[in-house]
Amino acid sequence: MRTVSRLTLVVAALVLTGTALQAQTNNASITATASVQTPINVVGFQQLNFGNVFPGVNKTVAVADLTNAGRFDVTGQASAPVTLSFTLPATLSSGPNTMPIDSYAGVRADNSSQTSGIGFVPGGSNPATLSAAGQLFIWIGARVTPATNQAQGTYTGSITMTVVY
Amino acid sequence: MKRELWIVIGALLLAVPLQAQAKPLTVTGVRGLMFGAVLPGVPRVVSRTDPANSGQYDIRGPSRNQMVLAFVLPVAMTGPAGALMPLSFGASDAGYSQSQAIGSQVGFDPKQPFTATLSNNGRGSVFVGATANPATNQRAGAYTATLTLTVTLLP
Repeated sequence: MRTVSRLTLVVAALVLTGTALQAQTNNASITATASVQTPINVVGFQQLNFGNVFPGVNKTVAVADLTNAGRFDVTGQASAPVTLSFTLPATLSSGPNTMPIDSYAGVRADNSSQTSGIGFVPGGSNPATLSAAGQLFIWIGARVTPATNQAQGTYTGSITMTVVY
Repeated sequence: MKRELWIVIGALLLAVPLQAQAKPLTVTGVRGLMFGAVLPGVPRVVSRTDPANSGQYDIRGPSRNQMVLAFVLPVAMTGPAGALMPLSFGASDAGYSQSQAIGSQVGFDPKQPFTATLSNNGRGSVFVGATANPATNQRAGAYTATLTLTVTLLP
């Protein structure tokens, strides 16, 4: 009888252990996926060139002037919306001398000939959309206003355009 | 004594079918975590409540059994030529639903083990979201990573 009781306890323990062993572990995995699109690339393709300027005579380079207007070329993901932002100088410099520059104007187009171009005022946040080929062309025109006693020299300034998705 | 031996044998025989009756634990990856098209420099967030893009696991096991959910999470997705794109998981980017409905989750931190209870019919689902953080010069192409959910039933 005592033997049987001990056996019963052992069996009971085995059964309980068997139940405890049911504390199972299992796992599964899923995959995270993403498709990174083409990064933006910006090239300063053409300088904004005022050519010869005479003291006291304002000079404007029209944004439609394909030869002298400044031009940026952008490539990136096809048809993606982007934001253009510009840092525009208020003056051009020649050593210690400065010459005012103002009246900035912009045009953006899907092609390099400005066909169906859209005019805009360049500033801190200009929305645009890359073409179906992932391209965008931007022209910048402006005006310089030399003083009547403007010192002779070569004047330069930097126009920076930043493009983000 | 003979009678008691029969009882013991009976108990042993009974124990096997009883164990067999308990639902086994299964974990199934139902849906991947999908970020879709990602633009360089623009973080892409997928919410755990996003029915199309969140990741989902389904769990089956013993009714009303408590369990511990633990993730193994990647820190980045791997893309072309071994390029990496960082992934981040917020403190509420995972959710558990007894009813397996994406709209009735209890949020939890996927970086920490979480204790949950299976439903009356022994089911539950885990949903997971995350944020992909592409660099501004992130290399274009397809990126992937693996998320593993381990479920441990509590006794």
